Amino acid sequence: MSDIMIELKELTKRYPGTETPAVDRLTMEIPRGEIVVFVGPSGCGKTTSLKMINRIIEPTSGQIILDGEDVTDVNPDQLRRRIGYVIQQIGLFPHVTIEDNVATVPNLLGWDRDRTKARVDELLDVVGLDPDVYRNRYPKELSGGQRQRVGVARALAADPPVLLMDEPFGAIDPITRTRLQNEFLRLQQELKKTICFVTHDIDEAIKMGDRIAILQERSIPAQFATPEEILTQPANDFVADFVGSGSTLKRLKLTRVRDVNITTDALLGRIDEDKHVLRQRLQESDWTAMLLLDAEKRPSRWLRAPDFLHDRPVAEMGLPARAMIEPQATLSDALEEMLLGSAGVAIVVDGRGAFQGILDVDDIITSIQTMRDANAEFYRASKLIDPATAIA
Amino acid sequence: MAVSTAPQELDQEAAALGRSEDAAATKRAKRGKLVRYLAMPGFLLLLNIATFLWLSGQDLDSIERRTLTADNLIGKAQEHVWLTLLSTTFVLLLAIPFGILATRPRYRRFAPGIIGLGNAGQAIPSFGMLALLFYLFRVTPWLPSTGTLPVVVALVGYSFLPILRNTMVGLDQVDRSVLEAGRGMGMSERRVLRRIELPLAVPVILAGIRTALVLNVGTATLAFLFGGGGLGDVVYNGLSLRRIPITIVGAVLVATLALLVDYIASLIEEKLTPKGL
Repeated sequence: MSDIMIELKELTKRYPGTETPAVDRLTMEIPRGEIVVFVGPSGCGKTTSLKMINRIIEPTSGQIILDGEDVTDVNPDQLRRRIGYVIQQIGLFPHVTIEDNVATVPNLLGWDRDRTKARVDELLDVVGLDPDVYRNRYPKELSGGQRQRVGVARALAADPPVLLMDEPFGAIDPITRTRLQNEFLRLQQELKKTICFVTHDIDEAIKMGDRIAILQERSIPAQFATPEEILTQPANDFVADFVGSGSTLKRLKLTRVRDVNITTDALLGRIDEDKHVLRQRLQESDWTAMLLLDAEKRPSRWLRAPDFLHDRPVAEMGLPARAMIEPQATLSDALEEMLLGSAGVAIVVDGRGAFQGILDVDDIITSIQTMRDANAEFYRASKLIDPATAIA
Repeated sequence: MAVSTAPQELDQEAAALGRSEDAAATKRAKRGKLVRYLAMPGFLLLLNIATFLWLSGQDLDSIERRTLTADNLIGKAQEHVWLTLLSTTFVLLLAIPFGILATRPRYRRFAPGIIGLGNAGQAIPSFGMLALLFYLFRVTPWLPSTGTLPVVVALVGYSFLPILRNTMVGLDQVDRSVLEAGRGMGMSERRVLRRIELPLAVPVILAGIRTALVLNVGTATLAFLFGGGGLGDVVYNGLSLRRIPITIVGAVLVATLALLVDYIASLIEEKLTPKGL
């Protein structure tokens, strides 16, 4: 097994009757298990490039090598069953149930009924939709975010090693989009698929990509590098322009909550504990507040000392716990949650909502400080060396 | 924590309110559906009873009595239904495959022209078209100039266009992204047609078939021109013999048949429209 999953060689698309090709000799190696994001201004040919990989658009010339096999001329229908495909408009079949939508490729591959059904349930679960609730629904009964989850489940149905995603979160409201992005990243940690992802949004590219290809006109790569490199060492003015200003803020999107030190030893209580026991524990600690968890370890309420003055059941004391984030959320997401929840802290929870730790706004500021220092370091260093080699 | 519990209570109240409203709405919808199902048959029944009662009060002469027998009327109605079904079956077998073919990528460039022709064809008055065909059958020696065949040919010719047009429009209005998703997952062109395009086009195609059926019932009234029978005979007899009761009974029966066919077609349409649309 080589480390390259998809190799594009001189891939060209020329539409009849046009002078310049839409995609001009695109050559690229996409490493196994990584998310490679194609990003660029509209009309740069990024979508065309993506769609040539599963030959929804047939290339005019060039070669596509999938996992060491030249697939430029194989039967496209067979090829596509090995590649997951998610598009912006989702394209769920409106006349069949969610179950049948997800089962599309397994049915094409002739899986037996039980295996398909088990797989559909598993996948709905994976994308966070309760199979018992959603299995027999129709697409129009779902919200946009839920539909895109089904779209992702459908693409993953036959467990293809490669996933092509064309602006998958483009038509979804910003809040849901952030959530879907985070969920997808969490999923990818387990799945380790090779993913080609097209977007026009550089912020999304930085967040989602292990590697980013910034494409110019005719799909010519201006830079193909990790998000860090692109932010700190833009290859040319086009990239610098495209990435835009506020790169420190953007780098908040690079750092994930799991990469910073979160407070895991916060003062905890259970919602079913006795009031006096809780009060005593709070008084004896250095903490000013205590976090109550429910039976499933999900954060429920914040308690402070004055809350004990009122005579109320534990479950109604204090304030409800807000601003919950998952470890794969970026610091930028965390900051936003904190600002929205006006709490100054965010609670880190795992995929099931169980408590993992607390992220303080100070943690984020420390992290920004570190980045600034690193940036300053980089710019100091880049002045000392030849600009030409710095780019390379 | 009155402040934080109040919104929850409100939510619950709203939810409860929503549920009872939902239940009421479902009830209303059910009743509405039943009324809708029964309205047309009820109306037709009343219309025919009224005609019968009116007829019983009339002093009928021998010609009228001979024409207005149950046997004769049922026979004519059967002929009428037979002509309609036969021509509709033929036109479905011709127009739907042709419509599918005309929307395939290879022939797609002809589609706007064909749809335009379809629209124009609808503007030709049926009587004129039938008269033309009548003439054509008369002057062509190897074609029968009377009987079922010329009528069916005429009806097929006339209802071909609405079904063709609706098939094409129905296939054309299917969301391209749905087709791309299907192709992108490795469904063959044929499978995409069978599993996605046609089911999604069904409501529009069915509407075309319904139009064609109603057109055919109406136009089959002109079958008397070819000696093709049907309820047109009754109406024509009434007119040519100046017997008003005969004309009225014929007209009422044709109208009843047309409305009944439309009603049945609407039920089928409802039944066959895929869920989730």
